[in-house]
Amino acid sequence: MSTKSNKQAYQQGTDGGSSPPFGRLIGSRSLNRRSVLRGGGVAMGLPWLTAMQPAMARAQSDSPKRFVAITLGLGLVSSNLVPKESNKGYKASRYLSSLEDLRDRYTVFSGVSHPGVSGGHRAEASILTASPMGSSGRAKNTISLDQYMAKYGGGATRFPSLVLSTGGSTSPCYTENGAMIPPLDKASRLFNLLFVDDSPATQTRQEARIRQGRSIMDLVGSEAKALKQTLGSEDRERLDAFFTSVRDLEKRMAETEKWAKMPKPVVGQPAPVDISNPSDLVGRQKTMCELIKLALQTDSTRYITLHLPGAGGVIPIKGVDQGYHNLSHHGMDKTKLEQLALVESALIDQWANFLRSLRDHSDLSGDLLGSTSVLLTSNLGNASNHDNRNMPVLFAGGPFEHGNHLAFNQRNNYPLPNLFVSVLQANGFEVDRFASSTGTMKGLAFRSV
Amino acid sequence: MLCLFASAAIADEPQLGVVKVSHQVQQFIESQCIDCHEGDSAEAGLDLSTESQNDRRLDFSQWVRIHDRVETHEMPPPDDSIVDSAERDRFLKLLSGQLREYESKNRFALGSAGSRRLTNLQLERTLHDLLAIAEPLARSMPDEPRTDGFTGLVASQSMSHFLLESHLNVIDAALDAAMGRITDPVRTWQRNYTARDLARENPNRRCRDPEMRDDVAVVWSSGLIFYGRITSTTVEKSGWYKIRFTASSVKRPESGGVWCSIRSGPCNSGAPLLDWIAAFEATDEPTEHIVEAWLPAGHMIEIRPADATLKRASFRGGQVGAGEGEPQNVPGVALHSMVMEEIHPAGSRQEVQRRLFGQMKIEVKREIGRVVYDGSNPIADTKQQLIRFASRAFRRKLTEKDLTIYVAWLEDELSKGRDPIDALLSTYRAILCSSRFLYLREPAGKLDSEAIASRLSYFLWGSMPDDQLFAAAQRSDFLTPEKLILQIDRMLQHPRGEHFVRDFSAQWLDLMDIDFTEPDRKLYRDFDIVVQNSMLAETHQYLKWLLENNVPIDQLINADKTFLNSRLARYYGIDGVTGDSMQLVRLEQGSHRGGLLSHGSILKVTANGTNTSPVLRGVWISERLLGISVLPPPENVPAVEPDIRGAKTIREQLALHLGHDECRGCHAKMDPPGFALESFDAAGRWRETYGSGSKGRAKKDLPVDASGVFADGRKFKDFQEFRSQLVENPLPIAENFAEKLIVFATGAPVSFSDRDELDRVMKRVQADSLGMRSIIDHLVTSSLFLTQ
Repeated sequence: MSTKSNKQAYQQGTDGGSSPPFGRLIGSRSLNRRSVLRGGGVAMGLPWLTAMQPAMARAQSDSPKRFVAITLGLGLVSSNLVPKESNKGYKASRYLSSLEDLRDRYTVFSGVSHPGVSGGHRAEASILTASPMGSSGRAKNTISLDQYMAKYGGGATRFPSLVLSTGGSTSPCYTENGAMIPPLDKASRLFNLLFVDDSPATQTRQEARIRQGRSIMDLVGSEAKALKQTLGSEDRERLDAFFTSVRDLEKRMAETEKWAKMPKPVVGQPAPVDISNPSDLVGRQKTMCELIKLALQTDSTRYITLHLPGAGGVIPIKGVDQGYHNLSHHGMDKTKLEQLALVESALIDQWANFLRSLRDHSDLSGDLLGSTSVLLTSNLGNASNHDNRNMPVLFAGGPFEHGNHLAFNQRNNYPLPNLFVSVLQANGFEVDRFASSTGTMKGLAFRSV
Repeated sequence: MLCLFASAAIADEPQLGVVKVSHQVQQFIESQCIDCHEGDSAEAGLDLSTESQNDRRLDFSQWVRIHDRVETHEMPPPDDSIVDSAERDRFLKLLSGQLREYESKNRFALGSAGSRRLTNLQLERTLHDLLAIAEPLARSMPDEPRTDGFTGLVASQSMSHFLLESHLNVIDAALDAAMGRITDPVRTWQRNYTARDLARENPNRRCRDPEMRDDVAVVWSSGLIFYGRITSTTVEKSGWYKIRFTASSVKRPESGGVWCSIRSGPCNSGAPLLDWIAAFEATDEPTEHIVEAWLPAGHMIEIRPADATLKRASFRGGQVGAGEGEPQNVPGVALHSMVMEEIHPAGSRQEVQRRLFGQMKIEVKREIGRVVYDGSNPIADTKQQLIRFASRAFRRKLTEKDLTIYVAWLEDELSKGRDPIDALLSTYRAILCSSRFLYLREPAGKLDSEAIASRLSYFLWGSMPDDQLFAAAQRSDFLTPEKLILQIDRMLQHPRGEHFVRDFSAQWLDLMDIDFTEPDRKLYRDFDIVVQNSMLAETHQYLKWLLENNVPIDQLINADKTFLNSRLARYYGIDGVTGDSMQLVRLEQGSHRGGLLSHGSILKVTANGTNTSPVLRGVWISERLLGISVLPPPENVPAVEPDIRGAKTIREQLALHLGHDECRGCHAKMDPPGFALESFDAAGRWRETYGSGSKGRAKKDLPVDASGVFADGRKFKDFQEFRSQLVENPLPIAENFAEKLIVFATGAPVSFSDRDELDRVMKRVQADSLGMRSIIDHLVTSSLFLTQ
């Protein structure tokens, strides 16, 4: 994305006021200081206001800032999640009662969602892009929050980002072209990728291949460009997508080449054993979260998404004997609600364990949780009727002041993309707009140092 | 495309997907539809009101739906209004003309045209055929999105550097495999095992390998994981192996032989997954079985009794001591001997060399694992190979001038002093990354012979044309119906023809999801993996039989025969079937088996492993077999959440749904087929009551009620009646089959403009008694297949 197009996008965005975004506006990076501070949110003590360097350089030079998104395909029952009282001093809800030790490290949001996003399960594609996909299936998606960060800040680590899932082929992560990034869902493969070095011979061969690969990309890229002239208009767009991918891969290979001969970090743990039961969502979540912690700790990457799809099978938890998806359509049935609560409690407890593992790991600038913003959310506010409003949102870590329940209007939701803007700013990106945001997150303040 | 509506007020330029229709069409809407379809509370979420009259902007698919609902007299609702039939006809004629015109101008934007990228499976097979290798490649590629079951739909394909990187890794693996094959120092690899070789080495050690009993190696029936692994069969090298072994039963049950599974895996707790190879029924008579399988390095063979209905022995501590199974009186399998041999199913070493280097003079130096150029004119020789290879890879007869950039690359590499073989291979690598390889390029309009040859070959084989098809496409009469049908005959009879039924049904009928759920062992005690694989074989064999015999389409649903082996017959409760091969069985009159809807495979993929949902099965039958697409609830329906507390059965739950006006319209249509299938549980067994087969909502021993009412008012009392009534009008089933074939073959659904051609095809098919093979022939020779 060139600066020029950003500027246009930015102007278009402000002119449009609070209307949903059209075209392909995704995020804009502005060098205008005032624009960064505008918006409903509190922006105080931003660590990077002193200098106006390009965002990417800063993201790399400051002490690392990280972001982890854990996304759920089937939502969380809001009556069990959302506390009755708002602001500090709220009484923990059923699901949050086991997280009391973490109270001042996370914030619970209610009454927030992505403006204009609907479509029930299909809105999974919009969790991190906030882009309305409509119902025809033809609308084009835009870049997701994590990939935006990876694109502009991912150069500092071996992996610009990791896109993970507990199973299946979908992720909420999208490129600028709207192509979904297929997730890695095998814990053992992830471990090898992160921590197991290839043999020196393989490394050398790999390096040569990457070098040649770059030239090949150049070749097939110029061929595609030439072919475009001979094609009817209908095929040009597809060839464009190919051409962009070729160019992106070429750039990516240039980065990879640097890392090819550098040894991977060594960790004490043995490789994880893949859980064979595809329905063991919670077990797989646990294994993946342990690896995520290791990846952050070793600074292998700074931007990670883990998707937990809503599969149909029975999750092996005591007291649960109906399929997860089926349970999510509880229709207020008591048995179903009770079983669903068992599943969802287990998912949240696992999330809490993950936060604890980050909190308990100290690095130079404090604990790992302090440098990592962790989001847990879902496209579904109510899975039983496929409602995309009132998304469940738990947000932990990073440089923020927590311990709050920020309650917004359940009938007229507050835009969740504002939180994305806050997260981007916290991660050192000079952005004041993402998708349909209207500012930074209201009520979410930076921690006073 | 809601966002388009929102933006319509601002933008003046024409927008993607939004169709402007003529004044007269607008008038009809104004006079006939607007009363109910207006404002936020518009029926079905379809708001037809506008700010300025006659400027109604709906997107293409909405107009098509309006056209179809009016055409079928569903709209305007006959109870509420009477539309003059001349007026209706005029409206339909005008609207369809305008939709056609719009569609022809916007085919790409609508996703009904454009180059298709090879799917994972197509890429794997193409590399196999291009290089004469057989290494599995697709499993290392990222999963593809599926739309209505199908992969490879132009509209849902995307491209990114992630995908391209994965593609590059795959072609590197393929080229490595081919070069490895040429330089492999080992000519043949074979191992012979006696029973003693197959059994545990130390008879006193408790382990999970077979034990010696008399002169044979025995594995008892047991639930212990990895029991039956044969450590001595561990392979050091990944490859295809032919495994021949002799086995017999021990203490077999009265019901017949001992059904066993053959699987492979590392068989240790660090890698619990096992790859399925095959099943067989061990009998008193020692019998030789032959299987072929891909074994990754480190895998060993596991052979064990695998029949969930057999009595099982229990062993303490997760290990089996020799002699501990004997007194427990359980069945077992006895292995007499085995021969394992590495094979190369895709062709000889010479064949791989021919595909890579043609007739070029080379010397293979196995001792150093290299191929060295042995000719005297490297530039001319490698250039010739480049043109030959690219023509195959791009599936077109090409000359040097079509390949100038590759020729330039090759010459550049050679001029830099690069070894000719390395230079050539690097050019191949580039060729395989080209958009001309990755995409099936099908420009709009009539396709040429070479494009049709590719279409045909990816349709029936999932791979590139073979030499014969490639050569046929160079002849001028290739596109005549007679020649095309001859090719279809040849291709379906070819060993690769086996792919068609499997690939197509994997997507069309979701059979690729057969592993997706594991039926709860406590609820489905007699279900096991042998049953599951037999179910798949039943459907595959039956579809193949239907095609081979050009059987009328009604027998897809309503049939008095099916394919069974002894295990599946026992599972279904059908007597008189013996042996482990799938055989055509004529079913008794009134049997509830027969036809796709009674196949365990279909019943399993339409359930979640634990319980069944008439809605999901109903939607599935509507969409996959009847060609009725069921839309998700409209977005403006105020989040309806029926209160289902107090309902005992799923039917009662749904009855509560029907109390809501918003739900009734669609549920009344899609639920009935699902009700009929309630007679089958989530593991495909027949049931009279919900009994133990379904927990949770349905309480024990509530009787199954499989009756229902078709949308047109016909009533059925049970599954059998439903099945026979469904085929009273087989035309929609045939038309749906044709439409699914088109999606599979072309990567796009039948377009609005193509409907007339489809009607013509269906007329021809009707003249052929709706024979299933005839449907393929008439489709391929129609413009639905021959043009883009």
